Amino acid sequence: MEQVIARQRGTDFSSVAIRAFGYLFIGLFALCCLLPFLLVLGTSLTAEKSITLHGYNLWPKEFSTFAYKIVFENPAVIIGSYGVTLGITIVGTTVGLFIVAMTGYSLQRPDFPYRNRISFFIYFTTLFQGGVVPFYLIMTQWLHLKDSYMAVLLPGLMSPFLIIMMKSFVTSIPHAITESAKMDGAGDFKIFTKLILPMTTPALATIGLFIALGYWNEWYNAMLFLSPDMKYRPLQLFLYNVVTSADFIKNSSVSSNVQPRDMPLESMKMATAVVATGPVILFYPMVQKYFIKGITVGAVKG
Amino acid sequence: MMKKKKKVLGVALAATLAVSLTACTTPSSTDKGSTDKATTTAAATAAGGATAKIDTSEFQTISYVMLGDKPKNGQFEKVMEKLNAILKQKVNAKLEIKWVEWADWQTKYNLLLASGEPVDLITVATDWLDTWQNAQKGAFQPLDKLLPVYAPLTWKEVPPENWAETKYKNQIMLIPEDHYTQWVNHGFLYRGDWAKEFGITSPIKDWKTMETYFQGVKDKKPGVVPWDANGTAAGNIAGYINSYTDAIELPISTGLFGLVYGKSYDEKYKAYSPILDDTFVNFAKMMKDWGDKGFWREDVLNYKGDNRSELEAGKSSVDQHHTQTFLGERIKMDKLQPGSDLQFFPFSATRNNLVSMSITHGGTSIGAKSKHPERALMVYDLIRQDPEVYRLMNYGLEGVQYVVKDGKRYRPDGYDVQRDDFYTDFWGGRIDKNEIPDGNDWVGKGDLYASYDKVKKAYPYGRFVFDKAPVTNELTAITQIVGQMGPAILYGKAGDPVKAVDDFRAKLKAAGFDKLMTEIQKQLDAFKTTVESSK
Repeated sequence: MEQVIARQRGTDFSSVAIRAFGYLFIGLFALCCLLPFLLVLGTSLTAEKSITLHGYNLWPKEFSTFAYKIVFENPAVIIGSYGVTLGITIVGTTVGLFIVAMTGYSLQRPDFPYRNRISFFIYFTTLFQGGVVPFYLIMTQWLHLKDSYMAVLLPGLMSPFLIIMMKSFVTSIPHAITESAKMDGAGDFKIFTKLILPMTTPALATIGLFIALGYWNEWYNAMLFLSPDMKYRPLQLFLYNVVTSADFIKNSSVSSNVQPRDMPLESMKMATAVVATGPVILFYPMVQKYFIKGITVGAVKG
Repeated sequence: MMKKKKKVLGVALAATLAVSLTACTTPSSTDKGSTDKATTTAAATAAGGATAKIDTSEFQTISYVMLGDKPKNGQFEKVMEKLNAILKQKVNAKLEIKWVEWADWQTKYNLLLASGEPVDLITVATDWLDTWQNAQKGAFQPLDKLLPVYAPLTWKEVPPENWAETKYKNQIMLIPEDHYTQWVNHGFLYRGDWAKEFGITSPIKDWKTMETYFQGVKDKKPGVVPWDANGTAAGNIAGYINSYTDAIELPISTGLFGLVYGKSYDEKYKAYSPILDDTFVNFAKMMKDWGDKGFWREDVLNYKGDNRSELEAGKSSVDQHHTQTFLGERIKMDKLQPGSDLQFFPFSATRNNLVSMSITHGGTSIGAKSKHPERALMVYDLIRQDPEVYRLMNYGLEGVQYVVKDGKRYRPDGYDVQRDDFYTDFWGGRIDKNEIPDGNDWVGKGDLYASYDKVKKAYPYGRFVFDKAPVTNELTAITQIVGQMGPAILYGKAGDPVKAVDDFRAKLKAAGFDKLMTEIQKQLDAFKTTVESSK
């Protein structure tokens, strides 16, 4: 009897220990993730001079909002940029998700004759790409997409990685479902929208998040194809420009021509990061649970 | 294994693409034919009657590619309106500036030229904008025949030896910014007040005196790091070579710092490496000594702070940069640290080893696909030569961006940078004669420039483009070694300096340094022939 109690107590103790350890570990880990962001926030509110003298601090030694003033120098432009990015993200994610899901679904249907060959072609593009110059030529000379938001929207719609992910997810849905629906007289499109889509929500959430993040963070295509003559350009490009030009003006090793101006460089970088990541942080917890589910599913199916 | 295969295939594919691309962008013979024809007719009309006018009846819009961020405060449009009114009246044209922003500007600039978009005027620079590589791909129109007719003032102003510097395959590719003074020779910025305190009464001209200054700071200025250098900056080795040899650095990148120089101005076609002789050993010994004395912080190799801001805050006693920076900092320091009397020790001062900046550090070309190169040149000639247009282009509107008092330029009262700032980033043909001196310039600027003018020599390597292809592997290996072993030697953290230098040289040798030197010598010989044949 005593032994049992002792053992119970032992299990009790060890489970408490494990829990304590678990909470501690996860707590520390969370702190590790949170600290850099707090540091970014703190630095963004510190006067540049104080950063030079004392380095980065969690709590600003010398409080200043000058960096935000520079970033928000022209509020109309930054609001417009937010609008552009938001618009592209919403439209792109909706359309992209739909196309990716359709492609993924079709590619795994056994009654689709050339599915393996087409899958290979899609996969092939992850290995071999034309490079920047041909891409640029096609976009500007053939498709005439210079200074058009389509230049940012189109390339982000589909990605081989997401199609393969969708495909492997849909494989877990038995083909019998499709067949039985067919026997009941449903068309392919109906089967897809009424049966397949509702059964793939975790995958859709994951893929949707990937696409949305991609559009939210997109600046490279915008940088290549949207010229400064456009009134509003995506947020990330706008912010990237603010930082690079400040960097350039300050450390112009390339050219002695630029007059150095007083720019709060370090604090400004941090303010930029805050402005750019803020909305994503709010958005993340909402889809997080799907995100985890989706990832695990993909992992098992390979 | 798989990965390697992919890489090889990728490289092969890329190579094929590159070949087909260059094939596409070489100017077709028809292109050249048409410009030739256009020029002959124009020349004929010019020759036909002395006063025969060039036909400008058709209104044209001329684009000009500039590097920089598009100005957003509305001043730019106001100035352009005024400028375009003049251009319309004089040459029946309008100027439209196309901006290449700083975000990834190299890619964008080169893509713009590769894509064959029609650009008229475009900012070029042989040392930082890949002008020769683009010329090789046929991105620019040869200007030999157009210049005398459509930009006669500039054509006469630039002497033949300077035009020679702008030629690719004996054709003029760009108009150089050769009549504008700017100095970017490096040196130490140091505090005159502290130097005086340590008994240094005359301007510093060598590294030993610099050492005295550093020691003084170390002893008498607690809390100040004499030189809060970043271990990733290699200005000290280039500076030391500049001070203690007559060598002139070749435009061949070997990573962190340059290993290969021209022997001297008189022997400019002789490849030489100061790394292999006593210069480098003496340097390494001195830096070890300086490091041991604590002239920079112990963790210098990992330090990433901003030395200049520290100087401004009185926390460091030098900054290592070039003359233009010094002139700006001098004004700033007079405000931030009154009485600091910031001084400049140009590395060239020790032995008067000073070359001017390349005259093709700035310039303007005409795009190969330009639809109206003639009018573009006429517009350029006006920007460069007409004082009114020049000032609009460079300074903006008188009374808004600047006022002139006693022949000097000042900001008007109530000038607000955010609201009134204006720039066009015209770096393709500024000219001293049309400049209005800045009233806020440091008073010593004239003397400093005069001291440079006394000893300066023309930059000899403006047209030298090193073809890396035969030594790509060696160059990559050497670049890596320089990056790995360099910083420790540069800041005296590599133990015994003599042994460290020996190890460094042995590694370089093993990586094929001799082969690199031979190849450079070979290409310098070829360069010599081209230069002498085009004189």
